[in-house]
Amino acid sequence: MSIYKTAINKPITTLLIFVAVIVLGVFSLSRLPIDQFPEMEVPYVAVMTTYAGANGSEIETNVTKLLENALNSIDGLKEISSTSKDNVSLINLELEWEANIDESVNDLRSAIDMVYDNLPEGCSRPLIFKFNTAMMPIIQYAITAKESYPGLKKLLEENVINVLNRVEGIGNLSLSGAPERYVYIDLDQNKLDAYNLSVESVGQSVTGNNLNLASGTVKMGKEQYQLRVQGEFVESAEINNIVVSTDATGKQVFLRDIALVRDTIKDLSLDEKVNGADGVRLVVMKQTGANTVQVASQVRKMVEEIQPTLPPDVQFDVIYDSSDNIQNSINGLQETILYALLFVVLVVLLFLGKWRSTIIVAISIPISLVSSFIYLYFVDSSLNIISMSALTLAIGMVVDDAIVVLENINKHIERGSRPREAAIYGTNEVWVSIIASTLVIVAVFLPLTMLGGQMGIMFKELGWIVTITIGVSAMVAISITPMLSSKLLKTKPIRVNADGQLEESSSRRSWYENSVGKWLDKLDAWYASILRYSLTHKKIMITGVVVVFIASLVPVIMGKIGMDFMPEQDNGRLSINIELQRGTRVEESMRIARQLELKVAQIAPEVELISTTTGTNDDSGISALFTSSSNNKIAMTVRTSAKQKRERSIFVIAEEIRKYFDKVPEIINYQVSTAGGFGGGGSSTVDVEIYGYDFNTTNAFAEDLKQRLKDIDGARNITVSREEDRAELQINFDKEKLALHGLSEAVAGAYVRNRINGMVAGFLREDGEEYNIVARLKEEYRNSISDIENMTLMTPVGSKIKLKELGTVQEYWGPPNIEHKRRQRIVTVQVTPVGVSLGDMATTIRAEFAKMEIPQGILLNVGGSYEDMQESTSDLFSLLILILLLVYIVMASQFESFMKPLLLMSSVPFAFSGVILALFITGINLDMIGMLGAVLLVGIVVKNGIVLVDYINLMRDRGYELNEAIALSGQSRLRPVLMTSLTTLLGMVPMALSTAEGSEMWQPLGVVVIGGLLFSTVITLVIVPVLYAIVSRHGERDKIQKQRKEYIFMQLADEDIHTKN
Amino acid sequence: MKAVFIVFNQANTERIEYLLDELKINGFTFFEQVQGRGTNGGEPRRGTHVWPEMNSAVITVVDDDAVDNLLRTVRKLDRRNLDVGVRAFVWNIEQTI
Repeated sequence: MSIYKTAINKPITTLLIFVAVIVLGVFSLSRLPIDQFPEMEVPYVAVMTTYAGANGSEIETNVTKLLENALNSIDGLKEISSTSKDNVSLINLELEWEANIDESVNDLRSAIDMVYDNLPEGCSRPLIFKFNTAMMPIIQYAITAKESYPGLKKLLEENVINVLNRVEGIGNLSLSGAPERYVYIDLDQNKLDAYNLSVESVGQSVTGNNLNLASGTVKMGKEQYQLRVQGEFVESAEINNIVVSTDATGKQVFLRDIALVRDTIKDLSLDEKVNGADGVRLVVMKQTGANTVQVASQVRKMVEEIQPTLPPDVQFDVIYDSSDNIQNSINGLQETILYALLFVVLVVLLFLGKWRSTIIVAISIPISLVSSFIYLYFVDSSLNIISMSALTLAIGMVVDDAIVVLENINKHIERGSRPREAAIYGTNEVWVSIIASTLVIVAVFLPLTMLGGQMGIMFKELGWIVTITIGVSAMVAISITPMLSSKLLKTKPIRVNADGQLEESSSRRSWYENSVGKWLDKLDAWYASILRYSLTHKKIMITGVVVVFIASLVPVIMGKIGMDFMPEQDNGRLSINIELQRGTRVEESMRIARQLELKVAQIAPEVELISTTTGTNDDSGISALFTSSSNNKIAMTVRTSAKQKRERSIFVIAEEIRKYFDKVPEIINYQVSTAGGFGGGGSSTVDVEIYGYDFNTTNAFAEDLKQRLKDIDGARNITVSREEDRAELQINFDKEKLALHGLSEAVAGAYVRNRINGMVAGFLREDGEEYNIVARLKEEYRNSISDIENMTLMTPVGSKIKLKELGTVQEYWGPPNIEHKRRQRIVTVQVTPVGVSLGDMATTIRAEFAKMEIPQGILLNVGGSYEDMQESTSDLFSLLILILLLVYIVMASQFESFMKPLLLMSSVPFAFSGVILALFITGINLDMIGMLGAVLLVGIVVKNGIVLVDYINLMRDRGYELNEAIALSGQSRLRPVLMTSLTTLLGMVPMALSTAEGSEMWQPLGVVVIGGLLFSTVITLVIVPVLYAIVSRHGERDKIQKQRKEYIFMQLADEDIHTKN
Repeated sequence: MKAVFIVFNQANTERIEYLLDELKINGFTFFEQVQGRGTNGGEPRRGTHVWPEMNSAVITVVDDDAVDNLLRTVRKLDRRNLDVGVRAFVWNIEQTI
């Protein structure tokens, strides 16, 4: 018994099965978290090794190279790059996206173990860092304060961070730029010399006077007491009164005599300002696996609760909230889905003109969509951009099968069948072609789940969701649709008139039949007449269509269609990096930063918040290894108003700011990037990789290239990866002289450090917190070369000696950081194309190479997003071929013919023409998502033709003459073809028109599918029947004739004497 | 009007259709799967493992004067391959609407 018969005979079972699916789906939906992308493990691992005292090139040869060679053989390694700088070697490994990171890290460990013995002595054990999403901040707050600023750190740590730590799933919370309390003891070099003191001895006496010590127990009579020496400072002022020494005359030298004690906040080296006001930045990270949106909303709620308990001058501003982006994108997509749903239902209503039919068809939408939620729930995924786009894509296709079935059932009812039988016959007639067209879609989307790399991870979900929803929709179409039709549809009303004769109640009674119905009938007839004309003028038609196809290729040949990797998103955020003259002191950088802030706010009134970081944190932690910052660098994060609320796009604003920066003389280099966040939406860049061993040649070449690129249209944010040499001061001790005075380089070095950087002389304890007490020279004694030369060091015998007697202080240029990629030295020149597509930029740069003289020993490669784009393009191309083959196989078995699938697939080139035209008209660049859309079109356009060809076959089998069969089928099948195309098309319209945040991501998909489908539907409606007519000359009917000609028994005589012929 | 019941080995299906077309006999009722065996040595056609072959049958109602020609032609078909086999039986039609 077939499925549809069972379904019709057991309506309650059928209904309840689908109710169960819906219940499960809704349950899953309520449990689904919201996220930006499907869960992916970022395949980056870093190996850090420190080798104190070695400079960049020593590190390169002794550490980095050894490790690189060992690590190069790790399974699943895609690319290895490294940076060797003073004291540190940092190797970055990019693994294949599908690699198992844990396994690779294990391999890494054993590879390191193998070479560890060969590393130089004194080299630390290489540390392995695994990157994960928990390292990405989910929210950044800018916290500003006026009066409370000095105590802000303590205030925030106690009242905010402690509270926020209770939020479930929260990871690291850190404050950046928070003022730290320090007690400085600024010593006067001359007075130290006069009293025969050194920084060290002062430091020791401070430490020695700042101490609590348990001194045993004392028994007194019946009692027993703990004895303690209680000498710790209660407040910083006490430090002034410490006696540091007693001079020769017996007079006591107090600390206040030789130094100034300042209880203050730490000297500036890193400056955080929010809208020009003092502020700190609170960076919130989540635990791996925690849900961004949930954690972020919890944090925001908590912050709102905390804020009233803080002093009124403490202000919280959100600089960046990644959950905002996610939420807005998902909301945008939800809207898209709802509009798509509305459009699809309207199309169905327009064509069928009956409420009941429309409801029967529309019911397949929620059932199919909801089934994908069950899938998402079971694979622990989320509602994200990919899964939601997949739903939008599917929404127009899931009704197709139901439409075909219902349309056919309706036709049987029109002929007078009862709904029950009509449902059985109607479904029987089309279910094979439904399964076939479903298989075609599956053949297109299932290979997506086999893609490799980042694309694979992204589109795996898309492939599965569409496959599942389409599969379910086919099931719905052959079970619940016939079941509902048999129950809900009505037999054509007939009655007996006064003469005892049957009379059909006029079918032309309803307004629908009179208006829309009439037009549709006319359309059918018109199409049939066009078909008849084309069938008799095949040559003209074919030529015409070929000409149209060639014409559509013109924009490509003229290079009007740009290629991009990922669309840039306008998420209302700019990150600006500014580099000033090398060696600019941080105070000067801050002054310029304030000026720039003002100007940026003037240029772009849309700006709501500017958070600026100037300088560097000198107690650099691990994080400082991954960011480069120094005193002459300014980093700004600019937040503008929401996308819908402003007229200018972020890209225009960025251009304006760039124009201004070009004119500022202090700025040596700048980048204004519209990118933000992780994953999609990052700036697409073209990276020119210059491989070569010799620093001078590669530097010169990079500089030359940079200058040339500046003249190229649309080239922005040009940066050279190798930093220019830093200005450094170097002390060269004379070892003989050191030895003469009983000093060693290590001791002398430590002395210099104590005088300049400061010597930590214990802690000031207050309310359970410890604050550093730092003794060092007053600034005026350590801010010139001669000051440094005149520093007094104390020899072990207690005599004083000036530094200049032990060595010389020289100014010199520190060697650059040495970067490697694929184990070779490399300099990268990075360009962000603005207003020019990535592909064009790469071509222009290549052309520039031809004009340049490329020195020997230099190897060039154009990489960056461009390389990723090329990789993905070739992936997509092989995907296209795979899909074409699979679709062919499915259709050839459906039609039992090698030729027929080719007829249908002739519509594929026209789909591509449509894509080209759509891109040309809208001016959108073809990116990976758009390309994916074009690949998917193969299935979508072919699918819609199946119904037509299937019906022509049917008519031919019924014995109609070829041309007549084609014209009749055309007339009869036009509506279902139009309907399925229109539903798919209109389902994509909201996607293409969406202006929601993040819409840049999926808009190209919508545009491409609409363009391709529209164009190919129009063309295929003509070309497929014509081609059918051409190849069917020697079709099935001829075959029967041929077979019959072989029958010879009719020629036998009536009776024969023999028994056999 | 006579009813002609033709029962034949399924291997003859296309030939029977052809035969009816040639004789301009349009109407028929077709039984696709019928079992049976012959009186005069005809092998059983049971669709089982032992007797895998099956018969089909056609009843066609024709004018009295067309019967002879039809039977003659069926006879020719039978003679073409006696092992495949076809039989025809004729009876009267009493009434019709």
